[in-house]
Amino acid sequence: MAVADVKAPAVDATMLDVAGTPVAVRRKGSGRPLLFLHGAGFTGQWLRFHEALAQGADVIAPEHVGFGGTPLQDWLDGFDDLVLHYDDLRATLGLDEPFDLVGYSLGGWIAAAYATFYPEKLRSLTLITPAGFPLEGGSVVDLFHMYPEELFGTIFNDMANVAEVAPDPEDIDAAVKGYEEASTTARLVWERRDDPKMPRRLQRVTTPALVVGAEHDRLVPDEAADAYAAALPDAELVRIPGTGHALVVEQPAAVAKAVLDFQERVR
Amino acid sequence: MNEMQFFHFGLMPYPFIPPGSEIESTWVTLSNAHYDPKIGARLYKEYLDQAVLAEKLGYDGTCVNEHHQNAYGTMPDPNVMGSQIVARTSKIPVGIIGNALPLHDNPVRVAESVAMLDVLSEGRIISGFVRGTGMEYHSMRANPAYSRERFWEAHDLILKAWTDDGPFAWKGKHYDIPYVNPWPRPYQQPHPPIWLPGTGSVETITEAAKRRYPFMMVFAPLSFTKLNYEMYRNAANEAGYEASPEQLAFCVPTYVAETDEIAHAEAREHYMWLFGTGLKVPAYQHFPPGYTSGRSLRGMLEGRAKFGMKDHWDLTYEELVDEQYIIVGSPDTVAERLNIYAEECGAGVHVGASMQVGTMPNWKVVKNMTLFAEEVMPRFRPPGNQPAWERGVPLPGSAALVTPTPEAVPV
Repeated sequence: MAVADVKAPAVDATMLDVAGTPVAVRRKGSGRPLLFLHGAGFTGQWLRFHEALAQGADVIAPEHVGFGGTPLQDWLDGFDDLVLHYDDLRATLGLDEPFDLVGYSLGGWIAAAYATFYPEKLRSLTLITPAGFPLEGGSVVDLFHMYPEELFGTIFNDMANVAEVAPDPEDIDAAVKGYEEASTTARLVWERRDDPKMPRRLQRVTTPALVVGAEHDRLVPDEAADAYAAALPDAELVRIPGTGHALVVEQPAAVAKAVLDFQERVR
Repeated sequence: MNEMQFFHFGLMPYPFIPPGSEIESTWVTLSNAHYDPKIGARLYKEYLDQAVLAEKLGYDGTCVNEHHQNAYGTMPDPNVMGSQIVARTSKIPVGIIGNALPLHDNPVRVAESVAMLDVLSEGRIISGFVRGTGMEYHSMRANPAYSRERFWEAHDLILKAWTDDGPFAWKGKHYDIPYVNPWPRPYQQPHPPIWLPGTGSVETITEAAKRRYPFMMVFAPLSFTKLNYEMYRNAANEAGYEASPEQLAFCVPTYVAETDEIAHAEAREHYMWLFGTGLKVPAYQHFPPGYTSGRSLRGMLEGRAKFGMKDHWDLTYEELVDEQYIIVGSPDTVAERLNIYAEECGAGVHVGASMQVGTMPNWKVVKNMTLFAEEVMPRFRPPGNQPAWERGVPLPGSAALVTPTPEAVPV
């Protein structure tokens, strides 16, 4: 499949000053504001998944500190820093009414952490194959202990759309960018690949919540989605057939529909 | 020929493992089920005897280092091995090259151990500091993204612990220690010489040059060593001085025998083990995220693309010899090759002279060490073939101790 077939129309990032930190943000769509937090990769572009969400919401997609167009900051050390940063971003954007928060993978962990600190600021919470939940025995897959192509082989169960996000292996700029983003991820998760405090803290999140799991996630175990859904007081769980951890690239329309339908049902 | 100092260095491998072509790595994930402690005990004894022999043969020093959870070098605690050598020798300097600072939670422990060894040996210690390999960030779960910051903060803390009267409080980003007050204090004043062994990152070389610390290239081809020495010399010039030969060290495995033919026949399989199996390390273990900077990674990737540089385990024996990763031959051949480092590169410290590598049996090591000491070393020494420690020559790195170090803020 040609690359052009799996690319969404481009949306340029604009830089936003968030309490002194420059943040690259892409925004498109109309309706209720939907803040989308990306995972540990797939940055620097407007994905078909963003585009599909933008059919039903005002999608605001910032890039995390140390990812894509947002420069790394010395203060970034843990998830609490990101929770406060994203609350600064919320205030900068003027989201004073409860809003819809969606996080994918690493972004799911950040979104869950945000929700435990600021449950009252959310209209709804959606976690898509979220990382961060402590499971018995821990994660068996070490994302830092494999070649990039092996990582793609692990997160995609269906490779049809991989060209949307797969870097050219000969492209040195892409390799350096990937390494620098992985270095940011390491800052956050190298010592601990989950948050042992998460299960107890999730009890605070009475916000309506949706957990979107893959059919079979070979990076973050499927049990993580089950566990988040069980620990959140008001959560439902859906799984998208035929997908793996990269479900937002594998089945962008189906995932976006699940998210938008859920947000529509929230009153 | 220019003068040169010769340091014995053995990595203390455990070589009885499957060949590199059959395993993912010799590090991190190679099961320690392969380790038989009875064989290990015999190997340790041989390796330590070789270090003791280095003193008898008049080497200028002998070295140990730190590596974790691997078969390439079974010295997780270099200070334990250093202590054995100190106890069994009386004059030879002992280089600990080095303690891997960022891997440990409290740098004061390193300050204490090295000071203990310095007092026990009455001032024979060289204190190398390293970051540890990328593999060790997987094995020890230290965060590679903070490796450089932790290295320099630990370095500054250890130096202060050695030179300032305690107790004092250390309040840093990574270490917060209310009472720093190590007993004993180092025997050498103000402190043992410091070396920075490395594989050649811009950041390490520049900092080493600024502080006048000897920089040691490890397992690199001659062309790459030249480039890095150039970088060191330029950084020294910017700091307002000329780098001296004692500041430029190189770790190049060296084997000498009666003739070139005999040398190659005896050495080949063991060097192939070192590079093909001992250094079998996939890139994701070697460069965990943050271990190196994006800038250094770019340089490395562009270098590989431009020069067709290979991974260690992909090199053929001919490439190892031609590109001078190793030096093998008759005394004349070996001296000629070493002289390239002395004259063209301005280097003054050869580390790993006649070291044991890989599967090399004890008899070859002893033969190699003896021939090297008797037939090669004299050519780079004043008449009499005395080691530096018999001639009253200060340890490499001593110059840094009398020159005020800049208030360098590490990268």
